[in-house]
Amino acid sequence: MQRFLDLAISSVLLAGLYATMAYGLGLIYGVLRVVNLAHGGVIMAGAYLGWLSFSRLGLDPYLSIPLVVAATFAFGVFMYRVLVRHLPRGAAGGPQSLLLLFGVWLVIRNVAYLAFTGDDQAIRTSYSTKSIELMGSFVSVNRVVVFAIALLTPLGLHFLLRRTYMGKAIRAVAQNADSCTLVGVDVERIYALTFGMGTALAGLAGLLSATLFSFNPAFGAGELLKSFVVVVMGGLGSMVGLGVAALILAVIEVYSILVLPAYLTAAVGFVMLVLVLIFRPGGLFGHRVLG
Amino acid sequence: MTNRQSTFPKIACAVLAAAFAACKSGPAAPAKVSIGATLPLTGAEARIGGFFKEGYDLAFEEANKRGGLQVGGKKLPVALTLLDDTSTSATAASLADRLVNNDKVDFLLGTYATNLVEAQSTVAEQNKVPYLNGGGAATQIYRRGYKYVFGLLAPVELLGNTLMQWIDLQQKAGKLPKPSKIALVWENTSHGKDFRKGISEFADKSGGAYQIVVDESFELNGKDFSALLGKVKAAKADLFLADAHLPDYIAMHRQYVAAGMCNKLVSYGARGSEKGAIDALGRENVDYVLSAVWWSNQLAAKGGLAKQFVDAFKAKYNKSPEWFQALGYETARILFAAIEQAGSLDREAVRQKLAAMKADSLLPGGTVELPAAFGQQAQNSFVVQQNLPDGTSPIIFPADVATGTGVAPNPRCKG
Amino acid sequence: MSGLRRLLPSWAAPAAVAGFAGGVAILALLPAAVELSPYSHNMVTLAFLFVAGAMAWNWMGGYLGQVSFGHAAMFGIGGFVAAQIVLSTSLPPQLAWIVGGIAAGLFALGAHPTLRLRGPYFSIATIGVGEAARLCFTYWEEFTGGSSGLSLPIDAALKYRLYWWALALLAVVVAASYAIRRSSLGLSLLAIKSDVEAAADVGVSATFYQDLIFSLSGAVLGVAGGIYASYFSYIEPGDMFGFDRSISFVLMAVIGGVGTILGPALGAVVFVLLRQFLLASYPQLYLGLYGGLLVFIILFEPLGLTGLALRLARRFGYRARPDLAVTPAAVPAGREEG
Repeated sequence: MQRFLDLAISSVLLAGLYATMAYGLGLIYGVLRVVNLAHGGVIMAGAYLGWLSFSRLGLDPYLSIPLVVAATFAFGVFMYRVLVRHLPRGAAGGPQSLLLLFGVWLVIRNVAYLAFTGDDQAIRTSYSTKSIELMGSFVSVNRVVVFAIALLTPLGLHFLLRRTYMGKAIRAVAQNADSCTLVGVDVERIYALTFGMGTALAGLAGLLSATLFSFNPAFGAGELLKSFVVVVMGGLGSMVGLGVAALILAVIEVYSILVLPAYLTAAVGFVMLVLVLIFRPGGLFGHRVLG
Repeated sequence: MTNRQSTFPKIACAVLAAAFAACKSGPAAPAKVSIGATLPLTGAEARIGGFFKEGYDLAFEEANKRGGLQVGGKKLPVALTLLDDTSTSATAASLADRLVNNDKVDFLLGTYATNLVEAQSTVAEQNKVPYLNGGGAATQIYRRGYKYVFGLLAPVELLGNTLMQWIDLQQKAGKLPKPSKIALVWENTSHGKDFRKGISEFADKSGGAYQIVVDESFELNGKDFSALLGKVKAAKADLFLADAHLPDYIAMHRQYVAAGMCNKLVSYGARGSEKGAIDALGRENVDYVLSAVWWSNQLAAKGGLAKQFVDAFKAKYNKSPEWFQALGYETARILFAAIEQAGSLDREAVRQKLAAMKADSLLPGGTVELPAAFGQQAQNSFVVQQNLPDGTSPIIFPADVATGTGVAPNPRCKG
Repeated sequence: MSGLRRLLPSWAAPAAVAGFAGGVAILALLPAAVELSPYSHNMVTLAFLFVAGAMAWNWMGGYLGQVSFGHAAMFGIGGFVAAQIVLSTSLPPQLAWIVGGIAAGLFALGAHPTLRLRGPYFSIATIGVGEAARLCFTYWEEFTGGSSGLSLPIDAALKYRLYWWALALLAVVVAASYAIRRSSLGLSLLAIKSDVEAAADVGVSATFYQDLIFSLSGAVLGVAGGIYASYFSYIEPGDMFGFDRSISFVLMAVIGGVGTILGPALGAVVFVLLRQFLLASYPQLYLGLYGGLLVFIILFEPLGLTGLALRLARRFGYRARPDLAVTPAAVPAGREEG
């Protein structure tokens, strides 16, 4: 019974992280209809930026959130302005945007490799190994903090998208970019901002991951695919949908240890991706992602 | 298959030899001993590849300081052609091909990491070039009936076995319950599989003194071990024995501590006392962790070749060597010894000397042999170390090289 | 010449056929004519394999427009099936390779459900399939030897002759590439690539053609994997099924010119040569370099090196056929309905 509870707590906490990872990918896809294959690379960059600010500036990783978010936001805007802008939008440009962003990912990976070597890095703070007791389970302090931040993020996003003018503009562009031009919305600017926000969320997710796990330049591929699972399952347009999808993914992944050998639990996310794409491309909430 | 020697490069070489001295000279008397090797200087194993390079460099430097190797009647300088195989097995094999067929090296020293050694050794065998390595420990490498491949690293099964021998002594002294339950987790590599084999074979032969209650593999460079550790915790084992590379050791042990886990004895195979781990985990969290390695710089306390090596290494690099550098150094040194014993650069002659090698060594046990019965893989014993609260990590087993006494069970774990 | 023309199918230009025959003959006689060092001989053998692999990938990624990031799965399956046959039976290696190819082709057929997905979704699914395959096959020790891999008996004579076997594979792949592209099969693929629904309306069944091309492409990769296994006499799942392996096929084809007939061949050669050069001087730059090339190509020259070559050729008055390559640029892009 305790084991069951342990796993349940573990999956809830993990779901928070997955949801945070997925928001960025979902936002970019929802508005620009572009699959950001560099998402994993930005997550990795966020992790390294957090590590840098910790080891060079001595900043606690959670305190460096604004720094990392700002940096990855700027990077995203830059990426859009210089590269993504030139891509044809939508399914007709599908393979091209995929390959372009994939190329960007390779470059980011190599830059990280040159700058930091391929060795695994980790952020070790004074509380890295501390844990608190939660319903009989020992939970690492970091996991709890990450979860708390993961709960705040969609709230912040919701506020941004529903209550600010920019947020409204973003949602309008997502629905019909042409009409937006007609009413005077600078669509290109919105695209750039959205892309930046997407990468900023990825950077945040990377930073949070860095407090939990070790990482190296190859980090991010698995995270990209899991984000995609969450986005496809949860559909767009609903934070709640993404959150629930993240929970489902986390629960299946964590509980799979009861039936699968530990080694194969790493494959669960990938298998889920393929299954979800094939069988429920409409998502669990009816919001068609692939249409 | 005949070795097709291109005639044009030979002519070009003769012409350019005076100017560049880079081409290997032809059938005339050799001017030096040319040894080729690759190491993972970049890629996943770059850190350790660099360590091996330090060992190789020291050995070559020492040999050349003495004037070179005594080959027949002359002293020849020894030169190393070192290439970067980027931690990829296909590249390691291709570069070995290049070293032998393009750069025309006389002999090959091995790379680091079992899959790289296994791929590369095939090329050596195909080309009938003696290949001595200190970086591949999986018995699989040496069970193929190859005549030209020799290994200085003892098999990882022995690592598990040696660890269990010390644990067994503790059990016989009443410090551990009988039967003791073992939670065994291992990285899914040949290293991990061999470790598991060593532990489980010992347990099988123990007549019920040890029960393995968890037996799971995990992916190399996995990040989230919480599910696996949850399983270990639920099994309520006495002994937690794992086999992991350094990054996984750090990740897993951190999550182990955070989960509030504590077993009577903990080991991560060859990991334990690395400074990197202590920095990342905090000294108090690695106390009482056991490790078994191929060599420890504390062997120098007993003098002999180990001490000579440690002194020379410290003089050159200003730091203490670990087993990587020692094995790199020793591998090169043994190859030099075989060449001098053969008195020539004839590959077959050197191969025979390697096969019959019986030499003093800095490895545990003091001597090294490459017995054919074990596929020409050395079978030297391991040394078991334990991190103690006073900040030292003494050798606790075998008794003849021990510099301290081990502690079992972990006094910090209640129940 | 007219006699030859009558023998050939309508889509085959005699000049191309002659060029093909000539090229194969030159490559086959090369080792005898120019005394290749064993190392170069081996490197060219490997290059043949990679060219074949890249061109076969291009059938999916270029002709059909389904970019796969998981082709290593077929490469690995072919390699390990062939290796197992060599290890456990006394069948000749050539037969082992063929069986490996068939196994890989069947796997591709098994991945049929993913073909319902279009564009980026298919690509992402292939990453999932590729990684899942890697993990599962690494776990399946009896088949792949687990992370330790499989060692094959050394056969130096065979390794030398692999040059001609790899060349044979390459010749088949080149001929097939040409045939597929120029024949009505190629037209069907182009139709599916441009607009799946319209193609169905005119009777071009996406299901049939996609399955066909996917399994053919997979089978070639499988045979290449088998030859690769015989070449190294040692294979391991990390190398065969790795994501880097999948990426290499994508890079080769895109850099050379995705959708063209010979573009991937050029890309593969450049890839192999660049890698050799970079290994010597800047070992860990090649990923970033290829990434940068990819970005550059997508933004400025979708036909990669082939496109650059064509631009150069246009200076000299040579004009390529308008349907030389099948890229989205050649297809009028419809405005995407949000």
